[in-house]
Amino acid sequence: MAYIQAADVGLTFRPANREAVPALRGLSLEVARGEFLSLVGPSGCGKSTFLNILLGLLRPDAGEVRIGGRPIAGPASDRAMVFQEFGLLPWRTVLANVELGLELKGVPPAERHARAMDLVGLVGLRGFERHYPHELSGGMKQRVGLARALATDPDVLLMDEPFAALDAQTRDQMQAELLQIWGQSKKTVIFVTHSIEEAAYLSDRVIVVSARPGRTKDVIPVRLPRPRDYEMRLSPEFNELRLRIWKALKEELAVTRVGDVPAA
Amino acid sequence: MRRPRDLERPLLGGMCIVLPLMAWEAVPRILPLPQGAKLFFTTPSHIATALLRLVQSGEFQRHFAVSAVEFLLGLGCAIAVGLPLGIALGRFRTLDAALDPTVTALNATPRIVWIPLLILWFGLGIWSKVAVVFLGAVFPLLINTYEGVRSTDRVLVNVVRSFGAREWQVTWMVVLPQALPYIVAGFRLAIGRAILGVVVGEFFGASRGLGYLIASAASNYQPDVMFAGVGVFMALSLILTFSVQAVESRLTRWRPEAAERL
Amino acid sequence: MSPRRRLARRRRLLVGCLSVAAFLAAWEIAFSTVIRWDPFFITKPSLIAAAFREQILGGKLWHDMAVSAWAFTWGLSLAVLVGIPLGAVMGWRRRVEYALDPLLTALYASPLIALAPLLIITIGVGITAKALLVFLLAVFPFVFNTCAGVRGTDPLLISVVRGFGGRERDLYLKVILPGVVPYVVAGARLAIGRALIGILVGEFYASSEGIGFAISRFGDTYRLPEMFVGILVLMVAAVGLTEVIRKVEALVAPWRLGQQER
Repeated sequence: MAYIQAADVGLTFRPANREAVPALRGLSLEVARGEFLSLVGPSGCGKSTFLNILLGLLRPDAGEVRIGGRPIAGPASDRAMVFQEFGLLPWRTVLANVELGLELKGVPPAERHARAMDLVGLVGLRGFERHYPHELSGGMKQRVGLARALATDPDVLLMDEPFAALDAQTRDQMQAELLQIWGQSKKTVIFVTHSIEEAAYLSDRVIVVSARPGRTKDVIPVRLPRPRDYEMRLSPEFNELRLRIWKALKEELAVTRVGDVPAA
Repeated sequence: MRRPRDLERPLLGGMCIVLPLMAWEAVPRILPLPQGAKLFFTTPSHIATALLRLVQSGEFQRHFAVSAVEFLLGLGCAIAVGLPLGIALGRFRTLDAALDPTVTALNATPRIVWIPLLILWFGLGIWSKVAVVFLGAVFPLLINTYEGVRSTDRVLVNVVRSFGAREWQVTWMVVLPQALPYIVAGFRLAIGRAILGVVVGEFFGASRGLGYLIASAASNYQPDVMFAGVGVFMALSLILTFSVQAVESRLTRWRPEAAERL
Repeated sequence: MSPRRRLARRRRLLVGCLSVAAFLAAWEIAFSTVIRWDPFFITKPSLIAAAFREQILGGKLWHDMAVSAWAFTWGLSLAVLVGIPLGAVMGWRRRVEYALDPLLTALYASPLIALAPLLIITIGVGITAKALLVFLLAVFPFVFNTCAGVRGTDPLLISVVRGFGGRERDLYLKVILPGVVPYVVAGARLAIGRALIGILVGEFYASSEGIGFAISRFGDTYRLPEMFVGILVLMVAAVGLTEVIRKVEALVAPWRLGQQER
């Protein structure tokens, strides 16, 4: 049985004073344990919504999601998310931010502190423990976000376009570091992105999500060897992969452009 | 459904104003008031009739005219002084440094404190009140204009300069439009302060004006007239502030949602 | 702060102090030598300084300051105790905000000072009336700013804390509360200004002691140097309080910048 199973998931947003927006309809997918899975799709197709369902912040209207055979009942420490806009508490230092998940779990201070220090070192921010988020660059902030997510040692790492707000060079750097960290820990990663190249480079499989309401359009395995290095991005296999993903995506983009209902 | 939610907000707000008014009106009919309290208790209906009476007799208009003149003169002077000075302080750092302590000190000090002095200098006529209004209104205008000028985007200035613009053109084409939202916000604040200035100025040593009307009504145990005056000021303040806010929104349409949180 | 910026700041301060000193010197010299002046109209720094010394040694100044400070503190504390929880509830529960906002905005726009005579007549001259006046003026910034602070909570941070397993209590303590603090402090800055106005008006109108009363009494008796002493004391107090709050603001919220004026 797959580690994560989503069967026929549906969710509709019903904002006040506006029309209902179906975000997902009939989305099904499976994720193996320790797999790196990417979700690509047009804007508004529900990828982030699905991540929020996995995190436990949203409940699907239809269908079911199970992790390890059990349905999701809310946020828990076996899953953690890295957010696109970082989501760091501005009034806390880097260290205190990393400790957040542990703090909410009730881990005693000394242990929290030690673990947070380890992670700060792991993401390459040693020396910045006492800094505040507004003193950090975008890349550094996202490292804090990553460290925070790893602090509770979750089995599943949910990443919602984590590098979208970073410049190209930082992005490449973060991708390499993410692969390295993931390689050492073998967590299950579900990675949402707009970038086909990023999805292809990082993942074991790429799932193309259809335009709103989202469902699984195409599942594309990535058969490149690991560990991945930068030069692989220049290989013909990589280009074929990108083309294949792009073709699947193109159709969905065309659908999205015409007669789009504004998102809630 | 669209309807119910949209109505909720004004309905709740309106009820919270109407119900207390009704309760207020009902109090003397329900509770017997002690004799002394009758002197300074009044009801909304009495207030309304008092206002009507004043308007019909023309008394209201006379006082209103005096207050309006004081308000406009004071505000006008504040604009004439505050805007250019704000621009000057924004452009010339040395001037800014020299005047900074004075401006900070005067801004932090409540304007009221100058009233006895102003009465000594300008007498009990309208000029002391104009001075109070001026002092109240000039600082928001000055400070906001200053902030607006200081926050000019250097990049845009360079762009315009690179097309050969001269100093005054730079001011006209870049600095002022960018400073405009700040200035209008300052104007909004200045209006509130100006109204307050009129009221307080006329409280102490005046013989005409709405503020005087309120103060003398209080001393003559005419709470209905007093509240009528307060109500008029409240309405004026709200109308003026909302008008300026509407203008403000139109003028700042091009801005991305920035510092204005409130 | 880099040494260069420190130098620039020092220079700024120096220029500012020099300009004030130059102004005072010019004032003194001009009025001691060249200009003929009417002591009922104006005075000069040396006389003010003498009056200052006299008042400090005589003890009256301390007494007046204490009286004013007492009423000020009472009124302000009450404003904090009432305003912050009220603002928090308004911010938290949308319906409460819908209901109360129009009423409070209308009240805020009214020159509540105009009610001062009524208050004093009903309650009588003394600390209660003054404190109540201070409260009425100072409570609004706390209410509105706390409300804005709660409403201004970044929803992303709520998602983050919930996503890491935070419950309702965690949301309050870890996200909402720290986020509200800068707003409340900014509100305190506004409230202090208004509270000072309240104290002065209360003391101008009907009181027998306090700084405000001293200023108006000296004005009535044409004792200008003593009056200026009172004005200066108030100015120093106002600036002092405002600067302290600004420092607190910078300490508490270094990541926030921008205006929060209402």
